[in-house]
Amino acid sequence: MERLTPIAVVVVIAVLAALPLIGAPESWILYVFLFLVYLAMANMWNLLAGYAGLISLCQPAFLGLAAYTMTVGTWVGVPWWLGMVGGAFVAALFALAISVAVFRLSGVYFAIGTLVVPEAIRMVFYLWRPVGGKMQGAGAGYMVKGIGNLSPQEIYWLALVVAVGSVLILRGVLKSRLGLGLAAVRDNERCAASSGVNVFRLKLYTFIIAAAVTGFAGAVYYVYQGYIEPSATFNVKWTMTLLLATVIGGIRTEGGPMVGTIVVVFLYFLLARYAGYSLLIQGIILICIMLVSPQGLVGLARKTAVHPLARRITTLGRKAG
Amino acid sequence: MGMGSGDIITPIVIGIMLGGLYALIALGLSLVFGVMRLINLAHGDLVVLSSYIAYALLTYLGLDPVVGLVISIPFMFILGFLIQRYLLGKGFAVSSETPLIIAFGISLVLQNLNQILWTPLSRGLNTSYTHASFFLGERQFPATYLLDFAAGIIVMLALRLFLTRTYMGRAISAASQDKRAAQLMGINTNRVYGYAFAVAMGSAAIAGVFLGMTFPFTPTSGTSFLTIAFGTVIIGGLGSMAGTFFGGIILGVFQTMGGYFLGPASQMLIVYVLVLLILAIRPTGLFGR
Repeated sequence: MERLTPIAVVVVIAVLAALPLIGAPESWILYVFLFLVYLAMANMWNLLAGYAGLISLCQPAFLGLAAYTMTVGTWVGVPWWLGMVGGAFVAALFALAISVAVFRLSGVYFAIGTLVVPEAIRMVFYLWRPVGGKMQGAGAGYMVKGIGNLSPQEIYWLALVVAVGSVLILRGVLKSRLGLGLAAVRDNERCAASSGVNVFRLKLYTFIIAAAVTGFAGAVYYVYQGYIEPSATFNVKWTMTLLLATVIGGIRTEGGPMVGTIVVVFLYFLLARYAGYSLLIQGIILICIMLVSPQGLVGLARKTAVHPLARRITTLGRKAG
Repeated sequence: MGMGSGDIITPIVIGIMLGGLYALIALGLSLVFGVMRLINLAHGDLVVLSSYIAYALLTYLGLDPVVGLVISIPFMFILGFLIQRYLLGKGFAVSSETPLIIAFGISLVLQNLNQILWTPLSRGLNTSYTHASFFLGERQFPATYLLDFAAGIIVMLALRLFLTRTYMGRAISAASQDKRAAQLMGINTNRVYGYAFAVAMGSAAIAGVFLGMTFPFTPTSGTSFLTIAFGTVIIGGLGSMAGTFFGGIILGVFQTMGGYFLGPASQMLIVYVLVLLILAIRPTGLFGR
């Protein structure tokens, strides 16, 4: 029975990969694509907020910088796929650059500081046109060049790879010494520090990894969109989605972001015509979850799931039943 | 907001008066943080809720917004008490991040509720005097800005008086300085937190009315004003009413100066840079504890 879960996972991935081939409606592909992109970012947010204790509200800065790097790259002849890698790199560099400043802030101040960063960067991109001529009015938007021969399916598959990669990276970090150190820091930072854990470096590595993956996922999203502009990119709505997905699913659980992202995208899909209702419901769910089951839906399932299969799914194949 | 003329006095005066409005909005946020160490992410949306309530009273009952405060202040007061008692207060028991996330949830609910009820169309509170202007020498200013400034000073002083002269106010101050010591002195800190939040909501009610009279608002305006309130509170220092007031003035002046020197698009950029600088150098703010 232990081998059931990896097989189930492979089956799910295969089904997702096959969706474009079996003629699923394009709107479905779009929603699954969104799910994949959000999942990758939510996993990283979970790593930061759930496991490293960094309630980072500057994810839009990472994804936006990476996406802009990729886009601007296409204007100067850099192919989009190379620009994506470059973008992830830029995002990681940015994380490194601001880490010195923001890590000095603890808890609530860290959240505020990271909240302001994407806003400031949005202003910068309103005013700064790295390439191309002056634009009429405000906006500073760019079309992504050189993607004419890319089909939506190929980008979809790329998103699938990124999403799966994010799960593997999250798993990898948590099982490594970095993950062990993070757990120690989470339990008692001072204790961990006096045991020789370099707290700053741990947080820094986590921050950089999360920034790079988030950035890459952002670049993938914008290759699909084909157009980027500051107000939608450096927007707190991204943070909201990631927070909702992770917390509703279950913060600090491996399966949480997955479950939460499904809920978020599903509600979005269901209520797309009723502006506001989807977020209203998510807000109510969020409040209820925090009061009833702070470990999210995964936590709820763990507490109430008697059926071993359900329990196995929610612990994602880890040895403890 | 950015004045194209060569005259620098006008933007400075506008910045100061606008600062009064920002301070008025931020006072509730500062109080809640000072007392409960809670960043109320829903604060901006609660202020805007008050704007919508005033709009409803004006549109359907013809009540002048300031008069309508007689209804909205008690309403927001009670609402605040209930939110703290049954939502945020329960959250504190779970973990320190839980109330933050619950506040975020409340913000989402409010924004989308307002969007459903009122549509995303921008609204404003228009009375006979909201479009009037007054003169200082040869310069003309909107009358609402002066009203905002006056309201800001009055509410700030009222809150200070409340915190220092009334029993509940001093209980609130005590609970914020040292929760356990306050409890040992017989203060029911849970109830005190409830009243603190309620008072903060009362000030948010006032802020909402003056905001609505000064600027048009939409369901999502809460976020922008939350950011400004944050900035005000960071600059001025969390928990200090007078500090928040001066923080508002500083932020207002920086904003208008940014607009004056660098153009209207850069106004908020200057503000963000200032906030980041203060966070980096002196996170407790200029007057904070």
